[in-house]
Amino acid sequence: MEKIMGIVNLESASVHVEGIDNYRPVSAASFLGRYRVLDFMISNMTNSKINDIQLYIKNRPRSTIEHVNGTNYNINSKKGRIRILHGEKEYSSEVYNTDVANFKDNMQFIEGAPEPYVVIAPSHFVYVQDFNELVDYHIKTESDITIMYQSVSNAKEAFIMCDTLEIGDDKRVLGFDKNRGKYKNRDVSLECYCMSRSLFIDLVNKASETSSLFWFSDIISDCVKELKVTAYQHRGYAACINSLKAYYDANLELRDHAILKNLISDEWPIHTKTNDTCPTLYKEGADVVDSLVGNGCVIEGTVINSVIGRNVVIKKGAYIKDSVIMPSSLINKNAKIENTVVDRYAIVTHIKELKGTKDKPLYVKRRDRI
Amino acid sequence: MKQKRMVAMILAGGRGTRLYDLTKKVAKPAVHFGGKYRIIDFPLSNCANSNVSTVGVLVQYESVLLNSYIARDYVWGLDVPNGGVFCLPPREKDESGLGLYRGTADAITQNLDFLDLQNAEYVLILSGDHIYKMNYDKMLDAHIKNGADATIAVLEVPMSEASRFGIMNCDEDDNIVEFEEKPKEPKSNLASMGIYIFTYKTLRKYLKDDEKRNDSAHDFGKDIIPAYLNDGLKLLAYRFKGYWKDVGTVNSLWEANMDLIKNSGELNLSDPDWKIYTGDNNAVPQQIGPNAKINVAYITQGCLVDGEVTRSVLFTGATVGEGAKVCDSVIMNNAKISKGASLTRCLVMDDVVVPEGLKLGSKNSKDILLVTKALVNKKVGNK
Repeated sequence: MEKIMGIVNLESASVHVEGIDNYRPVSAASFLGRYRVLDFMISNMTNSKINDIQLYIKNRPRSTIEHVNGTNYNINSKKGRIRILHGEKEYSSEVYNTDVANFKDNMQFIEGAPEPYVVIAPSHFVYVQDFNELVDYHIKTESDITIMYQSVSNAKEAFIMCDTLEIGDDKRVLGFDKNRGKYKNRDVSLECYCMSRSLFIDLVNKASETSSLFWFSDIISDCVKELKVTAYQHRGYAACINSLKAYYDANLELRDHAILKNLISDEWPIHTKTNDTCPTLYKEGADVVDSLVGNGCVIEGTVINSVIGRNVVIKKGAYIKDSVIMPSSLINKNAKIENTVVDRYAIVTHIKELKGTKDKPLYVKRRDRI
Repeated sequence: MKQKRMVAMILAGGRGTRLYDLTKKVAKPAVHFGGKYRIIDFPLSNCANSNVSTVGVLVQYESVLLNSYIARDYVWGLDVPNGGVFCLPPREKDESGLGLYRGTADAITQNLDFLDLQNAEYVLILSGDHIYKMNYDKMLDAHIKNGADATIAVLEVPMSEASRFGIMNCDEDDNIVEFEEKPKEPKSNLASMGIYIFTYKTLRKYLKDDEKRNDSAHDFGKDIIPAYLNDGLKLLAYRFKGYWKDVGTVNSLWEANMDLIKNSGELNLSDPDWKIYTGDNNAVPQQIGPNAKINVAYITQGCLVDGEVTRSVLFTGATVGEGAKVCDSVIMNNAKISKGASLTRCLVMDDVVVPEGLKLGSKNSKDILLVTKALVNKKVGNK
């Protein structure tokens, strides 16, 4: 019998990716020139041989629905499935549209499942993890709840407003706080939880009885005293894509071959939907260094330290540095772009210069013409 | 069972001896091409784009890889209830025992039961080793409109090269009146592309007759087409305009790859309305390193480039190390060009590692150098 049910959760309430999330949740945004952010979490689950996956969505679901299909993620199309679920009710206000409300609305699919354990992980984190190891650890430590965390030394710049853990002896979680960017070193919760399916159901019910504004992480922090909550350390690269800067930083960090090859390998592939795009054509005049480039591009200009998405056209004399260009954009002759995120189908023509800073990258809207 | 209009049969059993080591363990249709494709992706994608959803693939020579590749019919979107990609190898039969395909026509004859089962009305015969984009649906329209018994796609070739092809001599309405295989003195420049549409009922009868003949080579060009002409059946030439290449040799395979980076753009694979589909892999996007110098190249996902690449095509997973130079070359899947190595006018086979500092090929060579593991070992041994 299958052991684990996978739940890919909504992004937490604090996630706000300026610009990008006007068009889709950031989990469905293009990432590294070929993926969507949520490919990482779904691939983690299917690579962990989890066959029964629930993916929760809310606003602007088009790109997620178009993208996600079990076969793409290497799941048997009969025996396994990725079920795309959403809150069935009309919420009088968006604040009521919490993950708990969504779980509650879809409780029949959770109650009826055969798996004894659930792993809940939100779709806006980027890391690789075998969830079997998490569940084995959870069983070995006889915990009620196991929370995956990352010890980070860049908490001043990254993982802002993420939960942090206060960890005691035997990895016991004693309390929660928020990362407000004050300290360098923090144990950051990856908001990935493992527990028995029955406890999960109890906690969802309890959360909705306590407050209709509660998110699932709130109820966990509420019961940290009564239950045995253990911390499980994740090692390796991890990023939380909860702001435009975090999106920008993660894209640029992963240009590093050493980091990327540990994140994505033949043993742990990141699955995605193929677009059947032809290779990229580098024409005369192209000067590309230190960059990640998707397929289907036509490049005649200069690209430095950047991530270039699928089907991007970069004309002669264009200059792109420290930027993320999402798929199907057109950067015309002599345009100069630095520290900028350009959303899909944008056309950049009539400008001398678009320049953000490393701390505050500029954002160019989807289908924008500049 | 619902009648289907046209069933495609792709001839994919040939060995392709002039490709040497490239086809030692792999049938020619499965040879890689254009960065991320295999040659058979072209006829299969053309079928998918032309709404031909049932495709039989006649395999024979070294077919393990080819079989496993075409079995994934969802790659071309052909996993539909009324279609699919069917692998048809030679088989043991009750009355005749185990027999190989004796020729292109015999391969179809031996699978008439498959075509009966599919209720074929028209049969489209294709070759698994040609690179081109073509709408077979339009060709079928011409076949039906003209009331033809067979329609043959033809390409205008330069008169000087016509003697290398099977040449169709036609009347003013493009009805074929004579077929000449590699004529010394060609009367026309309309070359057969090896693409035929037959009305199935008639074809079935001719194939049955051909099967019994001892003097037949059981070949479409040599036997079936001449028999049709002899009996005065209506054969139509269907003129094709556009890119078409039979990549029979190392030089022509190299050339076809180079056509992808030419400015003329005759073979355009980026047309969103006529995509060439191929088995996807989980390769990461192409990684271009700090020392890379790329000047005119066709590069696909999974490549890692930190050297100098000039007028070359890199296939999935190919790596070019720091200071390595790749010029006018084709680097196939997962081949590794180590630091400081230098290649000119080479075609490097899958998985070959070119060691540090090794120089191969030359600017003025007549032929493209096929770089195999054996060749590299020999060169290193000689040092």
